[in-house]
Amino acid sequence: MEVKVKILRFNPEADKRPHYQTFCVDAEPTDRVLDLLEKIKGYQDGSLAFRRSCAHGICGSDAMRINGMNRLACKTLVKDLGRGTIVVEPLLGLPLIKDLIVDMDPFFEHYESVMPYLVNDEPPPLKERLQSPEERARFDDTTKCILCAACTTACPSFWSNGRYVGPAAIVNAHRFIFDSRDRAAAERLRILSNQFGVYRCHTIFNCTLACPREIQITKAIGEVKKAIATGSLE
Amino acid sequence: MASKFQSWWQGVRYRGGGPMITWMLHRIGGLAMVVFVGMHVFASFLTQQFGSGLGTTLNLIYQSPYFQAPLYFFVIFHALNGLRIILLDTFPKLLEYQRELIWLQWIVFIPIYGLAVFFILAQIVSGE
Ligand code: SF4
Ligand code: FES
Repeated sequence: MEVKVKILRFNPEADKRPHYQTFCVDAEPTDRVLDLLEKIKGYQDGSLAFRRSCAHGICGSDAMRINGMNRLACKTLVKDLGRGTIVVEPLLGLPLIKDLIVDMDPFFEHYESVMPYLVNDEPPPLKERLQSPEERARFDDTTKCILCAACTTACPSFWSNGRYVGPAAIVNAHRFIFDSRDRAAAERLRILSNQFGVYRCHTIFNCTLACPREIQITKAIGEVKKAIATGSLE
Repeated sequence: MASKFQSWWQGVRYRGGGPMITWMLHRIGGLAMVVFVGMHVFASFLTQQFGSGLGTTLNLIYQSPYFQAPLYFFVIFHALNGLRIILLDTFPKLLEYQRELIWLQWIVFIPIYGLAVFFILAQIVSGE
């Protein structure tokens, strides 16, 4: 079958504004949108720019807006997108570099700001820092994040103010805040309680719907909000 | 050089679905209340202080069913949506059932708004 793919193009050296370009591609219903982009780049227009690496939904580099919603190109099948033209656009809220590539620096700065690593100065036991299955389950959901930015760039609060840390940073803070081996929960909660922290979240749910790992992001944010409000990690 | 391509319109076009629509209606509801209360205060001020005709006109506008019907829609929606958010913030566990809660919210909303519309219509019919 033949599908039309309409892509928002932008070449910083030639264009003042981004513009749409439509390509006709021969595709199987089981092809992924990433396959279509590869075909276009390989056979029709080598100048098309997009990020990809693993092509198996685990590196998080090919998040983009597909038919108006953030998804991973490598996890989105043509047959799941209906019959019409497939519209592919870059993520919103981050500076556009070229075609489907946005500048991820602001995203990773927010990520780093919540200390997304284990903090524990106590001398480690002989073998390992033990944790019960229940304690591990407490933060299991938020360990699945692949830092694709689909959530943060789907968030209207982030679009309107890029200083908001965004859902992805909160998810990754949650992963350590509720880890029984970590000792910096209070510090992270302090960081997230400032004016650009969790309270910028207005429970809009775009993040949860966009997450390719199906993380319950708004729930994680809700748990962090509650921990800040009650001062307890229960 | 990186160019910042983002506009208000791009955001509105984002397909967030039901949950995003409730948030937009909530925002519009908030604005609607500000406009209504603002008009009300302004109209009273004009009529009381200056006996101005403009005040009376403003009164007529916000008392008209065409103004009241959408206003009630947004205000009732805003109130119920606010309750839903408070519930979700208090019990984060419920966030897993956010879709169901939005349905529940509409189920509660429809009869309440229906009643409001009924009274507005009754008022028109009785010609008050
Ligand atoms: S939480 Fe989900 S959408 Fe957000 S960065 Fe992680 S994997 Fe991507
Ligand atoms: S290319 Fe790695 S997640 Fe899609």
